[in-house]
Amino acid sequence: MEELLGSEDEILIIILIAIGLLVLMSVAIVLFFYFSRKKIIKTELEKANLKISYQKEIIQSTLIVQEEERKRIAQDMHDAISSKLNIVSLNANFLTEDGITSEQANKFGEGILNVTTTVLESSRRIAHDLLPPTLQKFGLQPALEELCEEAGVSKSFEIQSDLYYEENFLGKDEELHLFRIAQELFSNTIKYASASVIEVSLVSDVTEAIFNYKDNGKGFDLSEAKRVKGLGLSGIENRAAILDAGLTIESSLGSGISVSVIVRKTR
Amino acid sequence: MWELIIDYVGTVTIFVAVLYPFLYLKGFTRNSKAFKYFTCYLLIIGLIQVSMGTFKLVTMGDSNLFFFVYYFVLQFTMLSLFYRELLGYKWINIITVIVLLFIGYQYVAEPSLYFKYNPVGSSITQLTIVIYSLLYFYKSLSGKREFLIVNVGLFIYLLSSLLIFASANLVLHDSFPDYVPRLLSESNLVLYFILQVLIVIEWFRNYRVIKKVE
Repeated sequence: MEELLGSEDEILIIILIAIGLLVLMSVAIVLFFYFSRKKIIKTELEKANLKISYQKEIIQSTLIVQEEERKRIAQDMHDAISSKLNIVSLNANFLTEDGITSEQANKFGEGILNVTTTVLESSRRIAHDLLPPTLQKFGLQPALEELCEEAGVSKSFEIQSDLYYEENFLGKDEELHLFRIAQELFSNTIKYASASVIEVSLVSDVTEAIFNYKDNGKGFDLSEAKRVKGLGLSGIENRAAILDAGLTIESSLGSGISVSVIVRKTR
Repeated sequence: MWELIIDYVGTVTIFVAVLYPFLYLKGFTRNSKAFKYFTCYLLIIGLIQVSMGTFKLVTMGDSNLFFFVYYFVLQFTMLSLFYRELLGYKWINIITVIVLLFIGYQYVAEPSLYFKYNPVGSSITQLTIVIYSLLYFYKSLSGKREFLIVNVGLFIYLLSSLLIFASANLVLHDSFPDYVPRLLSESNLVLYFILQVLIVIEWFRNYRVIKKVE
């Protein structure tokens, strides 16, 4: 009997050990899931924070660009319009005075006419710079053609353009962003690069529009330029981000710049 | 001393089993389908526990083992519905029907099983729920999910008590001294108490304040 009792105790012990093991195992699995979950959530949080800080950066640089643009417009208006209108006002004042001869009146009138013509021309130019009417009226390809033409006026470099763009392939806003990118690239080349050849191409196929820009100017150190956020590079990057476009910028000292923007068709 | 604690825990579990369905009932209409199934589960288990207690008192110690089949079948059905809502898998319905058919067949084939523990049946049902619970753990790895604490409790309790119920027929045999089944039922009691505590914690942390339906 005692022997039998002993074997039953053994069974009990085995059962208890097995139950204990099951408890241990389940607790281990729970802990494993708990810590994995914590880790996963932590990395996701970090990712989200990174995204937020990137967006903040974009907003910040957008604000800076906006302020600079305002400053430039204010300067333009002051130089080209306000000061000239002062002259008109002064001349008009003379006209109202008593005792001036018709010869003098003619002279003042002529002066006023001249100045107002230049003011008109300036205001047209400023408005044109702000929002090119060609883009609004005729679309991206004519606007880019016009841009190439205007840039080529100085004859200091040769422009090779290859534009084949199906109108309304991109939305109006997207076209504007792409146009601004082109504008920025042109103005960089003109201001800094002292290039002799500029190659521009824009091709739209079934799913995407590909814009390429290349000059053979001085070039610059890309990492350095990115660090100082100069040359309007950040503006180009931001616009590309808004377009959700693939952007590649290649440049190094002495070898010009090569930029390609690939925009997918959204609709 | 140990006896006293166990006695105390035993009384507490019955009280809690009766009381916490009411905690959950408070937010019944305002919460998700899973919440409703879980509340039903608590109600049913509470009801079975009370009936078992009353039965024992009235019949002065007749075997109340036939309650066991209601316990594990209803537990399985309600928790299957509960996890079907949480996991969103339709195939859980099919598994539930298959398992229930199998258990029904068991009782038709051997009616005397009704007055014993059913180790195979209860193990299958508990194991199925444990697998659902594991799947839910995996699903909860990404993002916030409801009923995580309850899931922990169910997982630990069902997995650990699986062996207790499976070995019950064996240790209830006459050749085993009294203390063997008692020890097992005491360990079951402790595990069950842990589950209850976790269920109350879940309610306290996530459902105490009734949220507006989004």
